[in-house]
Amino acid sequence: MTRAAGTEAPLAEQAANADAAEPSRDPAEDERDTAEDERDRRDLRDRRLLRRMRTGDARAFEELVRVYQDRIFGLTFRMMGNRQEAEDLAQEIFMTVHRAIASYRGDGRFYTWLYRIATNTCKNRIKYLKGRNFHRSVPVDEDAETDRGDATQGLSSRIAGPEAMTVGNRLEAAIAQELSALDPEHRLLIVLRDVQGLSYHEIIKITGLQEGTLKSRLHRARLALKDRLQAHLG
Amino acid sequence: MVSPQEHSAEWMTAYLDAELDPEQVETYEAFLADSPQARAELEDLRKMLSLVGGLAQAAAPEDFYEKLHRRIRRKDALSLDSSWLTLMTLPFQALSILVILAIAVLYMMAQLDQPGELQREAAPPSAQP
Repeated sequence: MTRAAGTEAPLAEQAANADAAEPSRDPAEDERDTAEDERDRRDLRDRRLLRRMRTGDARAFEELVRVYQDRIFGLTFRMMGNRQEAEDLAQEIFMTVHRAIASYRGDGRFYTWLYRIATNTCKNRIKYLKGRNFHRSVPVDEDAETDRGDATQGLSSRIAGPEAMTVGNRLEAAIAQELSALDPEHRLLIVLRDVQGLSYHEIIKITGLQEGTLKSRLHRARLALKDRLQAHLG
Repeated sequence: MVSPQEHSAEWMTAYLDAELDPEQVETYEAFLADSPQARAELEDLRKMLSLVGGLAQAAAPEDFYEKLHRRIRRKDALSLDSSWLTLMTLPFQALSILVILAIAVLYMMAQLDQPGELQREAAPPSAQP
């Protein structure tokens, strides 16, 4: 018995036929499309929040801070290696945003503007603290690594059991320690790309580097960190 | 992008980050097949990236916004205070300038009123014999 196509065929069968008819798509391409959609949604949300801020809606700034506070704190924490310093710096970054929002023209993405402020503030603070020997006197905040509650999940959560968890915490502290010992320019690229997962395009917008320069600097930064972590690579 | 032999660092970074197109991946994998040194380096970098990628995403403290809000309010209040202070002291500043100017004018007038001084200044220097 023959069936009129598209009228009586079950939906699953139709979907399977449709899939077969479509040319096979590269999974990396799908991933890029999803990331692009995600970025578009984020831009739309940011534009709405900025519009509300300009009309004097005080709640909009609060929403903006709550949206980005973890990412900015994550960046400052990995750059400074100290929780207290990171919190202070993250607040300073949002205060700069609060002050400068009126002059923000909205040409590019808000996200990259915010990150540009954040990276510049971090660099300036590191330069300032370097003159005061901050990094020699204050070690990487290990308490923050081990006493996070359930707000974060890192290497320790990959390993089962309480003893193994301590090993995971120690490993995480060691990585953070070695990361904080890197040259600030190298550290920034590793944090942006490998810890926070920003795309090359976003990093280029934030740092102003050329693509080739970014790739070669990132390679040098990774090699430097790899050398420091050699004992843990096993 | 130029050949992997010439710009190995750029190729390796892009390969690790899945930023090469399929044709470039093929080119780079052919290069890797001939270079045990690059393969070993790539393997080490992969392990290192796996460790770094496993680092916890640090979360801001729960009361982050509340602290920020207090800090902004404090700063606004301080700048308001300083503007008030400027406004309050402005008349005194203007008065001080006027007093200084008046003293300077009186001093100059007192100097002009002394004829001897003027004559001394006006007289040509006596010729030397």
